[in-house]
Amino acid sequence: MTAWNDSAGGKRASAILKSRPFLTLAIVAAVWIVASFVSRGFGAYGHLRYLVELGAVIGLVAAGQTFVVVAGGIDLSVAAIVTVSAISLPLLSWQADPTGLVSVIAVLALTTAIGVVNGLGVALLRVHPMIMTLAMATFLQGLLIIIAGGSAVTAENPLVHWLGNARPAGIPAGIILWIAVSTVVLTVMHATPFGARIFAMGANPLAASLSGVPMTSTTLAVYGISGFTAALAGVLVLGMNGQGYVGIGDPYLLASIAAVVLGGTSILGGLGTYAGTIPGAILLVTITALITVVNASPGWRSILFGSLILGLLLLSGREQARR
Amino acid sequence: MTTVPPLLAARGVSKAFFGNPVLRGVSIALQPGRVHALLGENGAGKSTLINLLSGALRPDSGEIEVDGRAVPRMTPALARQAGIAVVQQELSLTASLSIAENIGLGAYPKRFGLIDYNELASRAKAACALVGLNEPLSTPVGRLALGRRQMVEIAKALYRKPRVLILDEPTSSLSATETKILTDLLERLRAEGIAILYISHRLNEVMALCQHVTVLKDGTCTADRSLAGTDAAGLVRLMVGRDPGDLFPKWRPSASSANAISVRGFSAGLMRDVDLDIRAGEVLGIGGLVGQGQEDLLLGLYGAIPARMASATVNGTSGLPGGVPKANALGLAYVPADRKREGLHLIHPILTNMMLPAFARLPALRLRSRRAEHETGKSLAAQLAIKGDLGRPAQALSGGNQQKVALAKWMPHDPLVLLLNDPTRGVDVETKREIYLMLRAFADAGKAVVLLSSDTPELVHLCDRVAVVREGRITATLDRAALSEEAIVSAAMGAEKQKVAA
Amino acid sequence: MSIIRSAKSAGALYWPVQAHRNIGVRALFLVVLAFLVAYGVLFPGLFTASGFGKFTQSWFPLALVAMAQAILMLTGGISLAIGATVSLGAVIAATTMAGPLGVAGGAAAVALAGLGIGAATGFIVVKLRLPAIVVTLAGSFIIGGAALLILPRPGGAIPAWLSDLLAGDTPAAFLILVVIVLLWKLYLATPLGLSLYAAGENPVGAYRSGVPVDAARVAAYAISGLLSTSAGLFVAAQTGSGDPVIGTAFTLNSIAAAVLGGIGFLGGQGTMRGALAGSLLLSLMISVMFFLGFTPVAQYVAQGLIIIGAVAIPQFRKVQQ
Repeated sequence: MTAWNDSAGGKRASAILKSRPFLTLAIVAAVWIVASFVSRGFGAYGHLRYLVELGAVIGLVAAGQTFVVVAGGIDLSVAAIVTVSAISLPLLSWQADPTGLVSVIAVLALTTAIGVVNGLGVALLRVHPMIMTLAMATFLQGLLIIIAGGSAVTAENPLVHWLGNARPAGIPAGIILWIAVSTVVLTVMHATPFGARIFAMGANPLAASLSGVPMTSTTLAVYGISGFTAALAGVLVLGMNGQGYVGIGDPYLLASIAAVVLGGTSILGGLGTYAGTIPGAILLVTITALITVVNASPGWRSILFGSLILGLLLLSGREQARR
Repeated sequence: MTTVPPLLAARGVSKAFFGNPVLRGVSIALQPGRVHALLGENGAGKSTLINLLSGALRPDSGEIEVDGRAVPRMTPALARQAGIAVVQQELSLTASLSIAENIGLGAYPKRFGLIDYNELASRAKAACALVGLNEPLSTPVGRLALGRRQMVEIAKALYRKPRVLILDEPTSSLSATETKILTDLLERLRAEGIAILYISHRLNEVMALCQHVTVLKDGTCTADRSLAGTDAAGLVRLMVGRDPGDLFPKWRPSASSANAISVRGFSAGLMRDVDLDIRAGEVLGIGGLVGQGQEDLLLGLYGAIPARMASATVNGTSGLPGGVPKANALGLAYVPADRKREGLHLIHPILTNMMLPAFARLPALRLRSRRAEHETGKSLAAQLAIKGDLGRPAQALSGGNQQKVALAKWMPHDPLVLLLNDPTRGVDVETKREIYLMLRAFADAGKAVVLLSSDTPELVHLCDRVAVVREGRITATLDRAALSEEAIVSAAMGAEKQKVAA
Repeated sequence: MSIIRSAKSAGALYWPVQAHRNIGVRALFLVVLAFLVAYGVLFPGLFTASGFGKFTQSWFPLALVAMAQAILMLTGGISLAIGATVSLGAVIAATTMAGPLGVAGGAAAVALAGLGIGAATGFIVVKLRLPAIVVTLAGSFIIGGAALLILPRPGGAIPAWLSDLLAGDTPAAFLILVVIVLLWKLYLATPLGLSLYAAGENPVGAYRSGVPVDAARVAAYAISGLLSTSAGLFVAAQTGSGDPVIGTAFTLNSIAAAVLGGIGFLGGQGTMRGALAGSLLLSLMISVMFFLGFTPVAQYVAQGLIIIGAVAIPQFRKVQQ
C-alpha cells in the first residue's frame, strides 16, 4: 500500500514537472533571470513586484476567461466589462457610502448580471459564444459612450483608492487580492463538483448533459464569474490609474486569452487549469516590460509582442488534434 | 493451390501503439473473385489490419504486398492507385455536398482544371445504380438517412472501380432491403474477379456471403481457412476461444405487477401518441428497424428532448421529468448508443468519467474527497472487471471497456430504471455476456431495464417483453411466450399489423 | 425510366447542386430584399447610377472581408487578424502607388503581401497544428505592427485617378465585385476549391478519400489574406491616403457578416452567397440606421440585437423540430 502511494507520488511529481503550468513558470523564471543580468534594475524587488501587480489585472480578467474557455466557450466581452466597471464606479460614489464598499458591490453585481446575460444567450438562445459576447461588447461600447461621453472620470472611492495604492506588509493590495481570488478559483475549479462539471461540459457537452450536468445553470454561472472577475480587474485598474475612461479595458481582451492559452488551457475546452494562467499572465507583463526596455517604435513593439507569443506557443506544445 | 498471386496481402505484419502490441505476425491474402471474411472481437486488431492494408498506417515489421510484390512504403495514395477502396465504419462523407460530389470526392473528373460535372454525373449515376441509390444526385448528403449515407459511402468506393474492396461493418446501419441489395452486389463483384474483404459481427451474413475466413484473436491469427464446413458456433469458438452457448443468462420471470414508468399519449421526436407501461423487475426490449423513433422514445422519457403526453407516472411521481437532472433525481439513468460522442469524455480520466453523475448531483460547491472518489472508482472497476490505471484517459480503453465505464458511472446511484440504447453495438462477445449478466441481475433486483437493441437475438433471449416500433408507433408488444426473431422482424416490417398483445 | 432520368441529370448536375445550396439562404435573401426596399424608400437616390455606385462602394470592403472570413470558417478556421491585414493592405497601397512602383507595382505588392501573410498563417495553423484563434490573435499584433512600421501615422497617397475610378462616380466597385464573385465560382468548381467543404466538415474522411486537406486549408488562408489586403487597397482609395489602424473594425464585422450569412463555426456549413448577403445586410443596417437618425448608441444596440436574433432564431427553430 505504501509502495503504491510512493509510486503514485513519484508519478505525480514527474507529471507536475512535465506540465504546461510548470513549463510556463519555468519560462517566466528564466526570462526574469536573463533580463536582470542584461538590464539593470529589471531584477530589482520593486520592479518585479510592480510586474506582478500589473500581472494581477490580467490575471483577474483571465480567471473568468479560464472558466469560460475550460467550459468550451470564449468571452470577448471582458474588455468592455473592465471598462464598464472602471467608468461606472466613479459615477456611483455618493455620500452615504463612506468606505466605498457598497458602490463596489453594486458594480460587481451589475457586471455579474451582464455575464449572466451572456450565459443566457449561449445556453438558451444557443448563440455561439463568440457572437454572443461580441454583440454584448458592441452593446456595452454604445452604452459607455452615452455614460462617459469620451471624457475621463476620476475615482473618489476610498476602497478603490486603497486597493490600487496600499501596501499592507509591503505587498501591494492588488497582489493580495489576486492571491485571494486565485485560491478561490483553484479550489472551485479542481476541488468542487462545480469545477468537475465545467471540465465535463467543455470536453463533451452532449455527454455531460446526458450525465445529468445542469447545463443551463452551469453556463450562466461560468459567464457570470467571468463578468465578476473582469469587473474586479476594472476596480483594480481604476485604483491604480485614479481615472477611468472609455478604452481603459481594451488591452485586456487579447491579454486574457493569451494568458489562458500560454498557461496550457486548451482553447477547445475541457482541459487546463488556472494554475497555468497565473504564470501566463506574469509572462505577458514581463514580455511587455522587456519590449518597453528595448525602447523600440510602436510598430516594432507590436511585432515583437506578437512574435514572442507565437514563439512561446510553438515552444510550449501544440493543440492535440481532436474532434 | 492458388497460382494467381493475391491482389493484396499482408505478410507477418506487426504493429504496436505506445508499446502495446496490437498485431503480432499476422498474414492475410486477398484473392481475386473471393469474399474474404475478417472476424474477431473488438480490440482484436481488425481496424489496425485494415489501416495497414490501406496504407493509413505503416507496419512495424512485416510487409504489405500488392500483386505479389512488396510495397515498402504503403500510403493511402499508393493504395488508391493500386485500386484498393475502403468503406470505413465511420463515414467519410461531407453533409453539405451533394451525393455526386461526395461520390467523386478526391477523384473528380477534370476538364480545363475544373470539375467536369457532366462526366461526374454519369459516372456517379453508374455507381449509384449498382447500390440501388435512386435519390437525385444533387441531393445534399446531410438530408439522407443513416442507411442511405452508408450506401453513398459504398457507391463512393465503387466509383473508383476498385480491384480490392474492403468493407468494415457495412451493414450495421442498413435495413433488410438495403442489406439484400448489398449482398447481391458483392456476389456480382466477386464474379467479376474483385477481391473483397468483409468485416461484420453478423455471423449469418458472413456464412451466406463469404468463402474464406481469417479470425483474429488478441492480435494474432487463430484461423485462416475456407468457410466450407464451418458453422456459426464454430466461428464464435474461434473468435472467443470457448463455446458460445452460455452467451445469454438463463431467463426467469422477475417482473412484478407494479409499473416503474407508465405513459399515455406520449410524443417525442419521431414517436407519436404512444402508450407504454414499464414494469419494475422486467427487461423491456425495444425493437424495430433502424431509425423508426426508438431512440426518441428513450430520450423523451429521459427528458433529454422535449416530450408531450396525456398522462405519465414515473416511479410514483406523476408527469415526466422534462430534464436530465430531474430524471436522474427520479431514478432514471441513460446509457447512450454512441459511447464516444454521447457517453464518455474521452480526454478525461476513467475515474472522472465514472464520477460525473455524482458531480452532477452533489451540491456544486461542496469540497470533493479524492480519497472517496478513488474508493468508489476502484470498487466499480473491480465489479465490472475494468483493468488498469483509472487515471488514464478513457480513450485508452477498448470499445468494450469504454461501454462498461459508460454503464458503471450510473451504478453508485442505484437507478430504479435503466434506459439503454444499443449497449452491445460493436462490443466483443465476452463483454456482451458480462453486460447481459448485469442487466439480468439488475432486473432480478426489482429494477426496470429498457433495452433498445438492433440485435434481434438479444431481444429474444434476454427480454421479458419486447415493444416493436415502426414509423414512430409501437406496432406490437410481444410477451415472453410470443417472442421469436420471426415475430419481431415481421412486426418491424409491418407484416402483421394490429396484432398488439395486452 | 431510369435511363431517361439519368440522361437528364447527367445533362445538368451543376445547376441542381447550386439550387440546393440556395435553400438554406432563401429566408436571408428575403430579409436582405426587404432591407433593400426600405433603403430605397428612404433614399430614392439608390436607383440612380451614381447612387447605386456610392452604395456598392460603401458595401464593397465589408463584402470582401466577409468573404475572407467565410472561406476560413468553411475550412473550420477563423481569423482575428482580418482587420490588421486590411490596414496593412491600405498602408502598402498608400506608400507604393504614388511612388516609383506605380499603381500596377503597388497593386502587385498589396496582392503579394496578402497572399504571403495568408499562406504563412495557414502554414502555422495547418502544418504546426496550432489553434487558429490564438495564431491569428498573435498574428494581428505582428501584422498591425508591420503596418505601423510602414506608415507610423496616417499619410501616403493614392493617385487621384485611381481614387476617382474606384471610389468616384463610377460603378467600378460593383463590377469588380461581380468579377470577384465569378472568380470564386470558378475556384469552387475546381477540385481544390470544392475540397474546402470536405476539409472543413470531415477532415479525416476527406483525407482518406484522397482530398488534399492541408493544401485546401492553406490555400484558403492565402485567398483570405489576398481578399483582406485588397479590401485595404480599396479603403485607401476611398480615403485617398493610408491609415495604419483603419481596418480594426473589420475583424469583428467580418465575423458578424459571415455568421449573419449562415456560415457555421464548425466548418463546412454555409455558402459564400450567404456570407455576401450577410455582409450586404450588415451594410444596409448601418446605412438605414444612419438615415433614420439613430444615435451611435442606438446603432450599436440595434446591431448587437439584430446579430443575436439572426443567429438565435434559426437555432431555435432547429431545436423546436
